[in-house]
Amino acid sequence: MSSDTTDCSIDSAKQALLDKVAPATLKDQNLVTNNREFSWVTNKICKIVESNTPNWWWVCMAVALVTASFTLMGLIWLVSTGVGVWGLANPINWGWAIVNFVFWIGIGHAGTLISAILCLLKQGWRTSINRAAEAMTIFAVVCAGIFPLFHVGRVWFAWWLFPLPNANLIWPQFRSPLEWDVFAVSTYGTVSVLFWYMGMIPDLGILRDRAVQRLTAGIYEETSKLRESIARGTDVFRKYFYGVLAMGWRNAGNHWRNYEMAYLLLAGLSTPLVLSVHTIVSFDFAVAVLPGWHTTIFPPYFVAGAIFSGFGMVLTLMLPLRALYGLHDLITQRHIDNMCKICLGTGSIVGYAYIMEFFIAWYGANPYESFAFINRAFGQYSWAYYIMFSCNVFTPQLFWFKAVRQNAALVWIMSILINVGMWFERFVITVTSLANDFLPSSWGYYSPTIVDIFTFAGTFGLFSTLFLMFLRFLPLMPIGEIKFIMPQADPHGHSDDDGKESE
Amino acid sequence: MSDQKDIQKINSTGFFALVIGLVALAISLYGIFSGLETEDPARGFLSWLVGLSFWLSIALGLLFITQIWYVFHARWPTIIRRQCEHFLSVFPWLFLLFIPLFIIPQIIGEPGILWKWLDGANALPGGHGTVQDDPLYQWKSVYLNSNAFIVRAAIYFSVFIGLSYFLRKWSFDTDITGNVENTHKARRLSSVGLFLLATASTLAGIDWFKSLDYHWFSTMYGVWFFAASMRAALSAILIFCIIVSVKGYMKGTFKQAHRYDLGCMMLAFTIFWAYISFSQYFLIYNANIPEETYWYNIREHDGYGVKNSWWVISLLLIFAHFIAPFLMLLWYKTKIVVNRLVFVAIWILVFHLVDLYWNLIPGKVIDATASHGYYIRQFSVEVFDITAIIGIGGICIWSVCRSMLKAEPIPIKDPNILTSLNHSE
Repeated sequence: MSSDTTDCSIDSAKQALLDKVAPATLKDQNLVTNNREFSWVTNKICKIVESNTPNWWWVCMAVALVTASFTLMGLIWLVSTGVGVWGLANPINWGWAIVNFVFWIGIGHAGTLISAILCLLKQGWRTSINRAAEAMTIFAVVCAGIFPLFHVGRVWFAWWLFPLPNANLIWPQFRSPLEWDVFAVSTYGTVSVLFWYMGMIPDLGILRDRAVQRLTAGIYEETSKLRESIARGTDVFRKYFYGVLAMGWRNAGNHWRNYEMAYLLLAGLSTPLVLSVHTIVSFDFAVAVLPGWHTTIFPPYFVAGAIFSGFGMVLTLMLPLRALYGLHDLITQRHIDNMCKICLGTGSIVGYAYIMEFFIAWYGANPYESFAFINRAFGQYSWAYYIMFSCNVFTPQLFWFKAVRQNAALVWIMSILINVGMWFERFVITVTSLANDFLPSSWGYYSPTIVDIFTFAGTFGLFSTLFLMFLRFLPLMPIGEIKFIMPQADPHGHSDDDGKESE
Repeated sequence: MSDQKDIQKINSTGFFALVIGLVALAISLYGIFSGLETEDPARGFLSWLVGLSFWLSIALGLLFITQIWYVFHARWPTIIRRQCEHFLSVFPWLFLLFIPLFIIPQIIGEPGILWKWLDGANALPGGHGTVQDDPLYQWKSVYLNSNAFIVRAAIYFSVFIGLSYFLRKWSFDTDITGNVENTHKARRLSSVGLFLLATASTLAGIDWFKSLDYHWFSTMYGVWFFAASMRAALSAILIFCIIVSVKGYMKGTFKQAHRYDLGCMMLAFTIFWAYISFSQYFLIYNANIPEETYWYNIREHDGYGVKNSWWVISLLLIFAHFIAPFLMLLWYKTKIVVNRLVFVAIWILVFHLVDLYWNLIPGKVIDATASHGYYIRQFSVEVFDITAIIGIGGICIWSVCRSMLKAEPIPIKDPNILTSLNHSE
């Protein structure tokens, strides 16, 4: 047995066996279709930022801003009045706020999963969707953060969550998973922003260089002097805006080498973070002794659910974008197929967890635990349980069928159903266990107030506002990485029909 | 098919393994029967169960990974997949070797000797009556009864054998026909098969391992069994690939890049196993509910706070089964240098066995002279443990050798064979 790193190469192998190698042909769709040129990819992605703002963008932005104001109003009302404006009352002291927090933080998992884990797994198809998914992650984390932040009541004391020495010698409760959440979510948010930004640097450099080129060459085909001046002025802005953000990127070989290494390291760092965040979110419930919360499968079950909802949201966002910007050659049917299959897989893992919880609740022979699950399925919140189960377990099963995966409108509707289901999952977990706990005399029924509803609805506006801003100002896809997986990038002048990546 | 020299080597290895296996199994059987006279008659059966579950976990992990590779359209492991397929031939033999665990207790008239709940008349530790009077058993008896146990075991093995049969058949057929439809069929079967396998292996874990102590429960247990199986399987297939490539069977096709990627997967599943095991432990520890914590308590102390032998094993699981391989596998060189990687793989397999010991062996053994009326079965490596592992392993290796004669060393007409042969980091 050799102790060094050298191999017997194929050359030294017995030729007879290799002579017999005759692979059957298996056609896979390319990851960039229609045999597009590199320049087409650059133009297509840059034009999203450089062309005039489309009308639909303004309409969406207006709607998003109005909706976002709901959250603002809800929070102002809350801060000026008190947490009592939410529908929380004994015994249900955790309601929509924690549900919404877990819902948004779950959505925030797909971005870093696509960037980090799929990068480590060498999945070439991630390139067309990773940037938007990362942006989505950050915006989702922003939305998620609002709820626990304001749930503390006196939000101006939220800094007490950090272990800072203060006059009253008050320290956070380090044994509480809620405190771990503070660190997990803030670390995750920070690393996600870093990852997102660092990945954008080469593309920001391209946007800067294109602006400089236009300014130098003076090619402006505007119809009037005024329009031309505006276009020039915009390019001057771009030159400095993207120039500062690109941090001196020159596309040099050593820049790319450092970039690749940094990307790999960040991918390695982000991967445990993706898992840790939702693991700790699951601990928020699972460390308690409450039936329905305390169950050992929670950590992987929550992580799978987060990936499930995250991919649901990626589909919800990317399918309309694909249609609006004509990105069919970059986000191909193969991408949609893969995302649908991930939803199918993770949805089924979630289904496994639901069934396992139910089974072990019975098998464990603890009457309280059994009651918690019977109550979920047949009690006062059974409607929520059925919405959860059908959206999360049955809906993705339709992705078994190719005809469904190829129907973009249907996939889009199902992606929304997935997120509806995932919101209800958190609702079922949080509320049903609290509403009917150990003491029947204190049982209650939780209903959200108008403030709850508006605050939550408004976060969709906030999320959309941020995403629309991202669309207008930042490159939607990583141009360099897409080119890398195109057949033309193969130095040997051939490809194995699948966009060259080794999965 | 391999050349004559290879065939000879494989034949002789297979024969040797079979002889060793049968001899060792005979000794193990002797161990079971001779153990009946001791104060802990279940120990001989547990030796057999540990040996069986060691090889079963490897085979199950390989069945999982083969299907996962199909579902993910993975190209690089195509040559490794063929070696996994050889291992998948062991399920029918494992089924035969499972039967004695159930049949022998029936024959000797003590059906509940290993799985206590199989005999309602079995006394409960601590003088709490018998199994059939136990309200917890009464509650679970719909699931935990002899007939259901047999039917379920038959279903689990049907799933294992059925999936392996078709995956092997179609892959071997591609060697001859070059029919790409076989790949499509295998992908389709794998996507359904993963669901079946996840369900079957989870319930098998509950039936065969967790129900050894039928009071205890944990929703994570099936995931633990999956994680442990994956670690064992990746280590085993890595060692196998290196042995056969050094011996010339794989013709130098198993390269550094394959080793590296297998090493990465070993690292990933080492972390995953730790994540699952820690989560299960932590959530039970933190909630501190006696009906759950006792399972960990008997693996730590004697009930009065004095640490027992399992305490050291528990620490070994943390430091030797997780931290050591984790740190070793973090290094790039460990994942490519043959000797280092083989060392880590053997290390993981040894501690996988320790993990199985830790999960299966501890239990309350009734002893009227002990302070609680029972004592906790302590860690010990018996001769019959070793013979069971070698015996069942011998049969498995013989089965693998038989399979190696039925197909090409690498899937020569698989659509992804070139990508796999040319795989680079």
